[in-house]
Amino acid sequence: MEEGRAERRRRTEAPSHTQGGPRRAGVMTDVHRRFLQLLMTHGVLEEGDVRRLQNHCYRVHDRSAAVEELEDFINNINSVLESLYIEIKKGATEDDGRPVYALVNLATTSVSKMASDFAENELDLFRKALELIIDSETGFASSTNILNLVDQLKGKKMRKKEAEQVLQKFVQNKWLIEKEGEFTLHSRAILEMEQYIRETYPDAVKICNICHSLLIQGQSCETCGIRMHLPCVAKYFQSNSEPRCPHCNDYWPHEIPEVFDPEKEREAGTSRATKRSLRSRQH
Amino acid sequence: MSEQSKDVCDPSSAAEASDSEVNSSPGVPGGLSPPASQAAILAGPETPPLGPTDAPLASPPPQAPSEEGDPKALQQASEEGRAHQAPSVAQPGPAPPAPAQLVQKAHELMWYVLVKDQKRMIIWFPDMVKDVIGSYKKWCRSILRRTSLILARVFGLHLRLTSLHTMEFSLVKALEPEELDRVALSNRMPMTGLLLMILSLIYVKGRGARESAVWNVLRILGLRPWKKHSTFGDVRKLITEEFVQQNYLKYQRVPHAEPPEYEFFWGSRASREITKMQIMEFLARVFKKDPQAWPSRYREALEEARALREADPSSHCPRSSVSED
Repeated sequence: MEEGRAERRRRTEAPSHTQGGPRRAGVMTDVHRRFLQLLMTHGVLEEGDVRRLQNHCYRVHDRSAAVEELEDFINNINSVLESLYIEIKKGATEDDGRPVYALVNLATTSVSKMASDFAENELDLFRKALELIIDSETGFASSTNILNLVDQLKGKKMRKKEAEQVLQKFVQNKWLIEKEGEFTLHSRAILEMEQYIRETYPDAVKICNICHSLLIQGQSCETCGIRMHLPCVAKYFQSNSEPRCPHCNDYWPHEIPEVFDPEKEREAGTSRATKRSLRSRQH
Repeated sequence: MSEQSKDVCDPSSAAEASDSEVNSSPGVPGGLSPPASQAAILAGPETPPLGPTDAPLASPPPQAPSEEGDPKALQQASEEGRAHQAPSVAQPGPAPPAPAQLVQKAHELMWYVLVKDQKRMIIWFPDMVKDVIGSYKKWCRSILRRTSLILARVFGLHLRLTSLHTMEFSLVKALEPEELDRVALSNRMPMTGLLLMILSLIYVKGRGARESAVWNVLRILGLRPWKKHSTFGDVRKLITEEFVQQNYLKYQRVPHAEPPEYEFFWGSRASREITKMQIMEFLARVFKKDPQAWPSRYREALEEARALREADPSSHCPRSSVSED
């Protein structure tokens, strides 16, 4: 009987690298529940904050346990969420490659997540902005161009002034990002709506040549036109002195960004602080 | 861990789908296990019964007395509404939907409720019916119950009817302790949050903060001087000894106070490492207000920031280097 129990335990603790077999539902504890609550509350979180969140949940509910590796922790939760058609999805910010996480609904096939608190004309404004962003070359749509479409909106008539405020509401709710009067999609919107966007705009949508996910901002080869996310460019051409297009082998004409390094971020913070406290101690 | 292993997985969950008249007594006292037929719902109607070690989900949620009675009342309310609307056309009753459809509706409702709560919007029952339940109105009670169960098991949240009068629901956290979460993400470590809370209090007061005042504030975080805490341990020791040893706080006897009372001041290390602007940002985050809601303190913080910039033009915004212990 001892053997049977040990065997069962081995099966339950299915290591995350076993592939091919059916996904085994994990066990939900208060650690996971609190984690999900807080992730839902924040909407979208960067990886550093997600780790802190995970540690916090362990501290509150299960101090003695070893904190599970984040990827396994999330896979574990996702196996429970699978039957609910939701999952914790991981993405990256398009400009500097910071990993981000959000709880998304896989069953959504429209912008219905926003539907509950935006009026019909506001939702339509978002759709119009979305279309402009997807069609644009840079992944940005100018405020002017969006506002010029105000007359075409469904629902109650909206003035341009009002539309400006609605756009700000989208920014505050992390659906859009604004940079110098132009709007693009927030990483949250990309995470939540990728499926919808690919289904709704199959011809206009751009895909990254490296990671094959939806691409809004990125760099493109001037010869053959393939596109890559900035963080994908950074990783692909890392320490390559002569970057060449992976598709047509032509010289890659753009500046290669740096790979996002969370360690460097933390170091930068502490070294600055150490310098400061040293300085003040001197007098 | 707080798991009770009296989970019962019952293959009759499929039957539950079409049965919306589960026995419910409004006066059920807390702590009793829910009707057995509810237990296996989340795993899906096809999952075979499993032992506790293999159970995909943890123990049933604690029962609140109001939960059972409310869906019934709402069911009646929605049925009455329907009766008024139904025109003269005599239609045969709608065929009961497949269990899978009800399960799907429950999932949709779960997401709907989570999103409403995330946006701090009112969860209104008529909206739930209009936006999600739709033509399944007749089965809204079982859908609601299923949704509540999922929310409790997976998220540790209770879907409570807060007002039968206005038909408003709210999502209530079912995990203890509650108040920590606000501090957890606002700062790098909970210790920092605790310290910043005390420093902020002192700063806003403009003078030393009496120990009694500090405990009033910490009570909001669920911290008491006599209670050992899962994260902070012995809180009193932490703030009166450890933080003082590290020079983040000064703990001094109030002169001429009888019976003896103590007050907290900023320690020398806090003055060196933490700027007033950081305190203002902390306050803004915790109280969800603009830093200018504390106008004189904000002015002070601005002046300090300017003085710092002038003193050392090469440095950027200083970061807190409160020790991450």
